[in-house]
Amino acid sequence: MARQSLVALALAPVLLVAACSGGSTDSASPQDGGTLTYATGDAEPTCLDPHVGGNYPQALISTQYLEPLVGRAADGTILPWLARDWQVSDDGLTWDFTLADGVTFTDGTPFDADAVRVNIEHLQDPDTGSSTGYLAVQKVASVEAVDATHARFHLTEPDSALLESLSQQWTAIESPTGIERGTDANCAAPVGTGPFVVESWTPQQQVELVRNDDYAGLDPEADHDGAAYLDRIVWRFIPDAATRYAALRSGEVQMIDNPQPDAVKAAGQGGDITLIDAPRPGASNRIELNAAQAPFDDIRVREAFVRAADVDAGIETLFAGTVQRSSSALSSVEPDVYSDPDLFTADLDRANDLLDQAGWTERDADGYRTKDGARLTVRFPVSTNQSVAAEQSLFEQIQAGAKQAGFDVVLTPLDLSGWYAALGAHEYEAVSAPYTKVGPDVLRILYHSDGTVPAPSGYFANHAQLKDPALDDLLDRAVATADPDERADLYQQAQTIILDSYTVLPLYDQLNRFLVRDAEGVRTLNTVSTPTFLDARVLS
Amino acid sequence: MNGKVGTAVAAVIVGLILLAVVWPSLLAPGDPTAIDPLAAFTAPGPGHWLGTDESGRGLWTRVVHGAAASVGIGAAATGIGVGAGLVLGLTAGLGPRWLDAAIGRVIEVLFALPTLVLALLLVAVQGAGVRSSVLAVGVATAPGYARILRARVRTVAASGYVEAARIEGHGRGRVLLRHILPNTLWPLVSVATLGVGQAVVWVCALSFLGLGALPPSPEWGAMLNAGRLYLDSAWWLTVVPGTAITLTAASLTVLGRRIGRVAG
Amino acid sequence: MLVGVLRWLLARIGSALLVAWVVATVVFFALRAAGGDPTEAILGGPGSQAGPEAVAAARAEYGLDRPLVVQYLNQLWRVLTFDLGDSYARRMPVAELLREQLPGTFLLAVVALAFAWVLALGIATATSSARPWVGGLLRGVEVVAAVVPHFWLGAVLILLFSTTLGWFPATSAGSDPAGLVLPTVTLAVPVAGFLGQLIHDSVAEAEAAPFAVSARARGGSAIGVLWRHSLRHGVLPAVSLSGWAFGSLLSGAVVVETLFGRPGLGRLLLDATLSRDVPVVIGAVLVVALAYVVVMAIVDLIERALDPRGSTPTAVVL
Repeated sequence: MARQSLVALALAPVLLVAACSGGSTDSASPQDGGTLTYATGDAEPTCLDPHVGGNYPQALISTQYLEPLVGRAADGTILPWLARDWQVSDDGLTWDFTLADGVTFTDGTPFDADAVRVNIEHLQDPDTGSSTGYLAVQKVASVEAVDATHARFHLTEPDSALLESLSQQWTAIESPTGIERGTDANCAAPVGTGPFVVESWTPQQQVELVRNDDYAGLDPEADHDGAAYLDRIVWRFIPDAATRYAALRSGEVQMIDNPQPDAVKAAGQGGDITLIDAPRPGASNRIELNAAQAPFDDIRVREAFVRAADVDAGIETLFAGTVQRSSSALSSVEPDVYSDPDLFTADLDRANDLLDQAGWTERDADGYRTKDGARLTVRFPVSTNQSVAAEQSLFEQIQAGAKQAGFDVVLTPLDLSGWYAALGAHEYEAVSAPYTKVGPDVLRILYHSDGTVPAPSGYFANHAQLKDPALDDLLDRAVATADPDERADLYQQAQTIILDSYTVLPLYDQLNRFLVRDAEGVRTLNTVSTPTFLDARVLS
Repeated sequence: MNGKVGTAVAAVIVGLILLAVVWPSLLAPGDPTAIDPLAAFTAPGPGHWLGTDESGRGLWTRVVHGAAASVGIGAAATGIGVGAGLVLGLTAGLGPRWLDAAIGRVIEVLFALPTLVLALLLVAVQGAGVRSSVLAVGVATAPGYARILRARVRTVAASGYVEAARIEGHGRGRVLLRHILPNTLWPLVSVATLGVGQAVVWVCALSFLGLGALPPSPEWGAMLNAGRLYLDSAWWLTVVPGTAITLTAASLTVLGRRIGRVAG
Repeated sequence: MLVGVLRWLLARIGSALLVAWVVATVVFFALRAAGGDPTEAILGGPGSQAGPEAVAAARAEYGLDRPLVVQYLNQLWRVLTFDLGDSYARRMPVAELLREQLPGTFLLAVVALAFAWVLALGIATATSSARPWVGGLLRGVEVVAAVVPHFWLGAVLILLFSTTLGWFPATSAGSDPAGLVLPTVTLAVPVAGFLGQLIHDSVAEAEAAPFAVSARARGGSAIGVLWRHSLRHGVLPAVSLSGWAFGSLLSGAVVVETLFGRPGLGRLLLDATLSRDVPVVIGAVLVVALAYVVVMAIVDLIERALDPRGSTPTAVVL
């Protein structure tokens, strides 16, 4: 460990000189040190430890101070990170991980197999209240610390998605000593091995992070060895998109997320603001139709809705041409993604035909179709937290388009709690619920019939209410197989069934864009698509 | 002289707005929810003389049809506020001392809860939409009306000719109907007119927080909030609904104050 | 005299207690009636997929498994003993959260109110000495100012003074003067318009009184008469309504803090309501309501000092 940092220290000036003298023609040159201010529009986390709960804002910030066991390349290959090598037994129930040697957490605790065991147990402990991480390691029965650099995972069932699950921020590794301080202390400042350390957190305002000078440099995609260049990061919470962009333009912050479409378009046209476009992994941004209750229990009505909702023109204008239409249930960053655009071409005539065939032949005074006295109503609760303004406008356009075929789409903007309550109570026919997870196993979570069983909070992930035994079988086999080719083929078949069922209307990738000004070297992880500032420098 | 011109202008504007509320198709025959994505973000000019929004809908049509939603919400909220205020104020003003004191306390407490806080709580309970906005603003403004009415009722009840009427032996009911109510309600009209203007602005704030009218309703506050995001690229998306709100509220203010001065 | 002061004080304390009770009750039942399970706030937010043991543990820890009436009475008792409890979402004491966020919002509100007064008095002065048509124009400006929506005004100010001119930052926190300008102006303008109209009305009445007429006839300047005589009566209704204005400023703070990215009570309240964090909402609303009671007491004192006869005309209140 000491040798590594000496090497890093020796190399760093060489690299810096090389970078600087490599020279750019404009006057701004990257500095060593300095502070980068990042302004996020996502909700402020209530706990900085992503083991607790587990949402994207937590992943965004924890990327700076926590590292996962493995990483992922752009083509989907799993890369070593804190774990250097791994092997799985023939029955798929035992995984042996070889861990990096000589790494310590920033509080001095050594990183070893026992630390890994403590972390998995932390995720599985009810008192932690983990949601995402808990699900990710659901098939892990126990972790055995065979020796300091050798951790053995014992599983209850084979899990082909284990590595992908462990590459996420929600299962990242924290110091056992840190965890022992208790939830309150650990929520305020988790201790990890990452390139930065949490120094302070002023609620509603900012989190301050300082450089970890002893960073071990295990990030597989790092552009340089050793510690980060920046001295500090100030992580600010600015909920209003227009204000955030104004702060970027005036130089108060160097990087923002969730930019509005016209800001993205302006960045694409040159100038001093650069765009980073990193779609989130997992599902695409899609609308799901509730196949468990009328009117969408009839596949003809589902297809009619999909054909009537003409989204291409809307996506083009509302997002200023910066967003591509998706025709798949998975994010485009997943190697196993399968699309079928023909299923989703707009065709109002076909929609009307299908509805006539399905028996919705009468119309009431307002022009909406009726059948046996009931109106063709589609309740569509919209989460104002998760859907940006442009997306809400897109839903309005879908509402208008569907009206032409006779659908009465009722859009209800709700805050997050109210939205989850409506979903839990099955008071929806259509909903757009993003789901971020690394790997195609997300299809099992979203479309396996097990996903219709609610958690104690009432939440269930299978909003399409798909209960197809053939699909279940494919997904079960895909998670059990160790053969990557067979796995890919099974997921292709599964996606065909999902798309053909017309319970999904794909819109676009989960948008995850960032604007940067006066800073360089920011890149996003190929796991959860969060930015890391390990290689970042501010320009003077 | 100035005042008269101002009042006349205000009256004309309010008249137009009322027309938009009851007969929008007369002023704008189109469909305010008809989308046309290819015509999105058109600047004001021939064809769409107030421009189009992000879904290609003409702003003139949307503003005219939105009058019913925006002014309607304001009027309904004021109605609730005035109604509740009337009950509270009359009871306090005409009733025994202890009732007056008790209601006075209630009014004070209601005052202590800022309007937006009440609105947030109500929307959390009921969900967003017209009903919540109306209820929230109505309940929040009720104490104000109650306070004015109570003071007015007390003044009138203590006045000379009410005394005289009582001495002449007229029943309490008759005194109420013939003397107290007429002299109390006329100034109320002035206050209520002002109130509708204020209520329209409050509903606007709810829309900013995402808790206002449901789409695709062309409610002015929702339009203003949506347009704010395109402030420097499509200025007409904020200026048009913003002007509608400001003109309406301002005209109602001027008219209301004029009526107030006449009512004395 | 002492008895009078004691009675006044008792009345104020009585108000405060009543307000506290109403707030605790209303918020408690309102948030219960709202959709959403309080345990979700504890377990990292809505849509939590935490397992059954985690949910059970959370319920037990926060007493959410006891009957509703018991929970309500517990809540009341805690409020009475100044125990505001712990935030469901943030796992820190509500009192600490409030202590951190209070100063920012009150600073905003106080500076905005002061600025609103300066604006309103300035316009009143300008009107009295200028030509009638200018006066009419200024009064029209006041009417419009009173109805301008906060978020729209703020967005325009940011576009003009931050993005285009670069004079002031778009976001700010704490007491940095440059950062305070845009948010306080946004808050102050509607209040200035409202106060200005009130002052104008009462000043007009006072200026028509014989004393003022004769003072001007004797050669006194309009401004002099205004400040020495008319304003003293003219500001009375505006002073009474400053209490109400303060409350409306706190409402406006919810919008302004969200817009300008400033930490404060308003934003805290909004976030807590949306995440059904009952202890924080009760705490924040209590603080606001009790602050209002205190401000009204102060306003009452000022009123008595300015006009011992107690003949303040009842003004329009909304």
